Amino acid sequence: MKTMILTAAATVAMGASLASAQQLAPSPTLDAIKARGHIECGVHLGLPGFSFADDKGEWTGLDVDYCKALAAAVLGDAKKVKFTPTSVQQRWPILQSGQVDLLSRNSTITFSRNASLGLNFQGINFYEGQTFIVRKATNAKSAADLDGASVCVAAGSTEEKNASDWFLERNLKVTITNFQKNDDAIAAYDAGRCDAYTAGVGALAGQRAKLKVPGDHVILTQPISNDPQGPVTRWGDERWQLVVRWVLNGTIAAEMLGVTSANVDQMKASSKNSEVRRLLGAEGNFGATMGLSNDWMYNAIKQVGNYGESFERTVGMGSGLKLERGQNQLWTKGGLLFTPPFQ
Amino acid sequence: MSAIVAPVWRRRLFGTPATGVVTILLALALAWLAIPIIRWALIDATWRGTTRADCVAGGACWVFVKARFGQFMYGLYPQDQRWRADLTGILFVLGTAAVVFAPQRLRLKAGIAALIILPPLGIWLLGGGFGLRWIETREWGGLMLTLFISVYASLIAIPFGILLALGRQSELRIVRLISVLFIEFWRGVPIIAVIFLASLLLPLILPGGIGIDRLARAVIGLGLVIAAYMAEAVRGGLQALPPGQREAATALGLTYWKATGLIILPQALRISLPAMTNEFIALVKNTTLVLVVSILDLLGIAQASLADPAWVGMNMEAYVFSGSIYWLICFALSRWSRHLELLGRRRHR
Repeated sequence: MKTMILTAAATVAMGASLASAQQLAPSPTLDAIKARGHIECGVHLGLPGFSFADDKGEWTGLDVDYCKALAAAVLGDAKKVKFTPTSVQQRWPILQSGQVDLLSRNSTITFSRNASLGLNFQGINFYEGQTFIVRKATNAKSAADLDGASVCVAAGSTEEKNASDWFLERNLKVTITNFQKNDDAIAAYDAGRCDAYTAGVGALAGQRAKLKVPGDHVILTQPISNDPQGPVTRWGDERWQLVVRWVLNGTIAAEMLGVTSANVDQMKASSKNSEVRRLLGAEGNFGATMGLSNDWMYNAIKQVGNYGESFERTVGMGSGLKLERGQNQLWTKGGLLFTPPFQ
Repeated sequence: MSAIVAPVWRRRLFGTPATGVVTILLALALAWLAIPIIRWALIDATWRGTTRADCVAGGACWVFVKARFGQFMYGLYPQDQRWRADLTGILFVLGTAAVVFAPQRLRLKAGIAALIILPPLGIWLLGGGFGLRWIETREWGGLMLTLFISVYASLIAIPFGILLALGRQSELRIVRLISVLFIEFWRGVPIIAVIFLASLLLPLILPGGIGIDRLARAVIGLGLVIAAYMAEAVRGGLQALPPGQREAATALGLTYWKATGLIILPQALRISLPAMTNEFIALVKNTTLVLVVSILDLLGIAQASLADPAWVGMNMEAYVFSGSIYWLICFALSRWSRHLELLGRRRHR
């Protein structure tokens, strides 16, 4: 009986809010965020360049930046986000139980996760994939150039299997040298026992910084596996999913359209490109359509910057990791990073 | 004096040619192990500077620990509020000292007063409210959090453990059954599973509005497990007492609780003190398990700080530093319990 009354009350309340919010779909997540005044973002406990607490205790990194942009878009202030570090084991339950509004933590998008965990992946903010690190002197440009080389790997790892399959399939003669642990393998590579070492792009960037002379090594940009990563939300609450998806798209579109944190004011005032004007809220009402303010992306770009700025600052040339854009370059510049148009 | 001392060590270390050879071999092995460690940690180490670039290869880079010292101690606790954590620590030390050094007849009262006042005071100082700025537990971390979890989990575990031990000896069958079930359940479940369940399953089961703090869930979970272990430690002490003690107390007309409080427990606890210290030391080390639910205790923050590209590759420094702090805490605890034991034995004579 009690539940029936509650359901009825909820239905009435929902109807009322529908009427007042001009046909906006109800979004309990957005309502909760606005009521509490901050976004709850689940991040990685510590992954170089992607999310970590710096010397001052501030969360920093590519995944962290996305949540800051989201906070700027939703609440007008990039600081209105709180981070919950999550371990591998607890990341899905913490999202499913509603302790965080979204995850932005280097989780690979796969069919089974999408289909069976009750989670939706809202786009790709980093194309991760297994690749190789080699000495600059070898002049290898892609994994196919490694014919006759030797590769250090941890025995029995996924990386070992991927690499040996990949070379076998292409009839390349590559010596795989096995080590017990990843650390041993990378140390052996550093000592010159192998010509290459293999791991994911992001992991290699972190490991390169630990080598004796990081500048002597280059990470091949063409990966041999495909592990795209991006922000994750729960099933349900489509309007919130819409916001999460389009803020990510917006940061990519901004780079594509040449909007940066430095020129965003000028672009908003004087750009003649109507996609720029729509993105920044000078034209149309894209923000309001989702229940946000019209300067949602203006705030995000102004306070956090576009995708490229964020990439360079956190994992790219402006950071200690010196990672090249590679696949994470815009599709117009030879990468895979893509956004549908703001029309 | 030295003439008397010298033969003693000589007799022990070089008594026969065989022992002499063993002594020399062991000394060489020790030196072989210790010299590289000392070289790395002290001689070749870099102490001064502010960035990774200041560090010399081959030695420890203590610059990293220096730069991160605040985080190792307090986690992400706001810098201008860290005095609150210091004050809490000082109050707990003073409170414990007051109880230990209080005159015998006041000690019980002082202990009870400290137990009533200190824990809520500590939570208020660290967490805030009533005039202090709120600081969420997600910002707590480092050594402060390790100590917080250890102290508060044992505040749950010790009283609860004593009650369980008494319950297990009870003559009421139902009390005995409940105690046995409780103890065996918690002893049989891995601590890591308990922390997981407390952290992940509880929010899924509880209705949406009720949110128990993440840290509180971990502390309670840990406290319940340790209570079961404490109960077994105390039971050892209870069983070591001759049954005559309780019989005599009952014959004097003391009630169950009076006899327990005045006669049984003071003796039993003294006997089980070493075992209880063991449990407490295990608890301090088990606090590191909260890492699996991303609570940044001392080990957690050390590990997390390795992800900063500015300090990448400082694994040895981070683990050596945090490991030594755990060692210092546990060593101090074991010395303290040894001291208490000796004190107790002297009094018994």
